[in-house]
Amino acid sequence: MRTVITLALKDLRLLWRDRFGLFWVLAFPLLMALFFGSVFSGGSSSRAAMKIIAVDQAQTESSRLFFARLDSSAALTVVESSPDSARMLVRRGKAVAYVIAHPGFGSLGSMFGGDSASLTVGIDPSRKAEAGYLQGLLTRAWFSLLQDQFFNPSTAREQITSVLDQVEHDSSTSSEQRDVLTSFFGSLHDFMGEMDTGVLAGDSSGETTAITEPKIKIEDVARESMGPRSSWEITFPQALMWALIGCTAAFAISIVTERTRGTLLRLRLAPLRRSQILAGKGLACFLFSVAVCTLLLLLAKLIFQIRTPDLLLLGMAVLACGVCFVGLMMLISVLGKTEQAVGGAGWAILLVMSMTGGGMVPLMAMPKWLLTVGHISPVKWGILALEGAIWRDFSYTEMALPLGVLVGIGMVAFTVGVVVFRRVHG
Amino acid sequence: MIIVKNLFKRFGDITAVDGISFEISRGESFGFLGPNGAGKSTTINMLAGVLEPDSGSISINGASDPTRSKVRRSLGIAPQALALYEELTGEENIAFFGRLYGLSGRKLRERVDWSLELVGLSERRRHRVKTYSGGMQRRLNLACGMVHDPQVLLLDEPTVGIDPQSRNLIFDKVEQLKSEGRTVLYTTHYMEEAQRLCDRVAIIDLGRILAVDTVDNLISEHGGVSVIEAELAAPPKDPSLLPGTLEGTSLRIETDNAMATVAELTSTGHRFITMRIDRADLEVVFLNLTGRRLRD
Repeated sequence: MRTVITLALKDLRLLWRDRFGLFWVLAFPLLMALFFGSVFSGGSSSRAAMKIIAVDQAQTESSRLFFARLDSSAALTVVESSPDSARMLVRRGKAVAYVIAHPGFGSLGSMFGGDSASLTVGIDPSRKAEAGYLQGLLTRAWFSLLQDQFFNPSTAREQITSVLDQVEHDSSTSSEQRDVLTSFFGSLHDFMGEMDTGVLAGDSSGETTAITEPKIKIEDVARESMGPRSSWEITFPQALMWALIGCTAAFAISIVTERTRGTLLRLRLAPLRRSQILAGKGLACFLFSVAVCTLLLLLAKLIFQIRTPDLLLLGMAVLACGVCFVGLMMLISVLGKTEQAVGGAGWAILLVMSMTGGGMVPLMAMPKWLLTVGHISPVKWGILALEGAIWRDFSYTEMALPLGVLVGIGMVAFTVGVVVFRRVHG
Repeated sequence: MIIVKNLFKRFGDITAVDGISFEISRGESFGFLGPNGAGKSTTINMLAGVLEPDSGSISINGASDPTRSKVRRSLGIAPQALALYEELTGEENIAFFGRLYGLSGRKLRERVDWSLELVGLSERRRHRVKTYSGGMQRRLNLACGMVHDPQVLLLDEPTVGIDPQSRNLIFDKVEQLKSEGRTVLYTTHYMEEAQRLCDRVAIIDLGRILAVDTVDNLISEHGGVSVIEAELAAPPKDPSLLPGTLEGTSLRIETDNAMATVAELTSTGHRFITMRIDRADLEVVFLNLTGRRLRD
C-alpha cells in the first residue's frame, strides 16, 4: 500500500504543478457553475413575485379588500384556496406561504385591538427572510386597509351600520347590552356623518394611536423539498461532473504520457506489480476527484447556500462518482497509444456522456427521449446521485440505484481497462 | 553473475534477438557494441524482465526469473529513453524512484545525496528537470537507476545525444562504479566507449552476437593487420631481410602484431626518423564481421 501511495502522491504532485491542467479540473467547472447559476437565477432587480395562498375564513368585505390589496403588490401573487389545500401547496413548495384570515378579521373590534384581529401565516421555518418580508407586507396592507376604512367616514358608517345590524339580530346579547351598544354605535354613526374628512386625514397620527398592528401567528410548515431552491443546486452538480470529466481526461492522458516519456518503463523495472502501478494511478485520480468535488461543494454550501440535508448521502454520492470516473479513466487511457489519440477520444466520449447525461442541460429540463438515452451516461447517474443528496431528498433506498449504477460502471470500465493495459504491456 | 542462453525474441515478422548466449562474471564490465536496431535494448529489456523472451533462459545471480522482486532490487537500469518526470525536481525524481525500491527516511536521504553527488547535480537538485540541459537529464537518468545501490548495472546507451563534458563525466562514473565491484552491462554504438569501459565486448548485429572477447583479442582476431609506415634513418644493407616493402628509405609493413614488429626492427639496428602505426579498432572489427560500418 505504501508503494501505491507513493505512486499516487507523485501523480497528485505532477497535476498540482500543471497549472493549465489544474484550470480545466478546478477553475473551469467552477466558472461553469457560476456562469450558468447566475444566468438561471436572474438578477435581484427582476426578482419573481412570491406566491402566497389566501385562506379567507373571515369572509368579510374587509378581508376581501385585505387580500386584494396584497395581490396588488408587485411582490406578491395571491391565490385563494382552502386551508388543507393551502398547507399542501406550501408543504410541496408550490407556494411560499399561506395566510389565513380568521373569522372576525377586519371588524371594528379587531381594528381597535380586539383579540379576533388575527392572521396566521404558514411558512417553512427555513424561509426566515421570506417570512419577515411577508410580515412586513401584511402589516402594510393592514394599515392601508384601516386608512381606507376608518379615515373614510362613508366606509366607516357602512361598517357601523353593519355592526348595528348584527347587534340587533344577535340573540346571545342581553337587552341591556344591546341598548348600550346600539346607543354607542348610533352615536358613532352620527359622528362619522358630521365629521369633516379633511380633519381626520390631516391629523391622522393622533387618531391612530389606539390602532394596533394585526396579530400574526407564524405556523411552521415543513416543506417537502420537491425541487431545487436555487439555480446553484442545479449548476453545482453539473460543475462536479465537469470537474470529474477533467480529472478523468487528465489522468487518462497521464498514463499515456508515462508510456511515451519512458517513465512507465522505469516503473516496470522497479520491484512493483503492474497492479500496483495501476492502483497508484487510480488512487491519485480518485483522491483528486474527491478533493475537487469536496472543494466545489464547500464553496456551493458556504457561498451559495445549497442544501446538504444528509452529508452521509452526499459523501456516498461523491465517492461513487469518484469510483465511476476512475474506472472510465482507466478505460479511456487504453483507447490510444499517444496523448493526442487518448485526449481526443477521451474528450469526445466524455462530451457525449455529458450532453446526454445532463452535464450541459439540466436533467429536469431535458426532453423525455433524451432522458431515456441518458440512462447509458454515467454523467446522468452522477448528477442524479448528487441532486438526490442535495435537493431531491432521496432516501437511502432511492439512492441505491444511482450509486449502484455508478460503482458498477466504474468497476466494469476499470476491469476492461486493466485487461487491455495488460495485453498491451504484457 | 549473468548467464544468458539461446535467447530469442520476435516482434511480428522481425526477429529482434536471434538466439544469443553470453555470460558476464561478477564485477565485470561487459559491452554490447552494435548499430541501432541490433537488438541491444531488447536484450536489456529481457534481462530486466520487462520483455518476456520467446525462448531461451536468463539467470541473474542464480535466479531465473528477472521479474522477481529480489532480482529487480539488484538491478540498476538507465534506459535509453530519458525516463524522468520533468515537472519534478532532480531530487524529487531520485527520491521517488528510491521509495519504489523501499528506501525511506535517513537512508533515502543519504542515497539521494550520494546519487546527486555521483552525477554532479547536487547544485541543481531543487531545480525542475525541465530546466536541465540534455546532458544533465542524461546524468539524472543514470542517478535514478543508482539510488538503491544495485550490484548489477544495465546501462542502455547512456551517452546518446549529450555534450562531451557530460559524456566524460558519465565515463568517469561508470569506471568508478565498476571499480567498486559492480557488474556492468553497457550497450553502445560508439566503439570508443566500448574500448574504454568494457573488459569484454560482444559485437551484435541483427539480433545475433557475432563475436565476444576482450577488445585486444577481437582486434587481433577480426581486425586484420596493422600497418606500420616508417622513414628509415639510413638505407638497410640487405633490404631482403626487412618485412614489407621498401622504396628508398620509406618502409611499409603489414603485421598482426605491430609492437612486436617494431621491437624486432629496433633490436636489429634499424633507426627511424618517423613512424606511424595504423592499428585496427573495433570499427574495423565490426566492418570485417558484418560488411557494414557501425553507423550505417
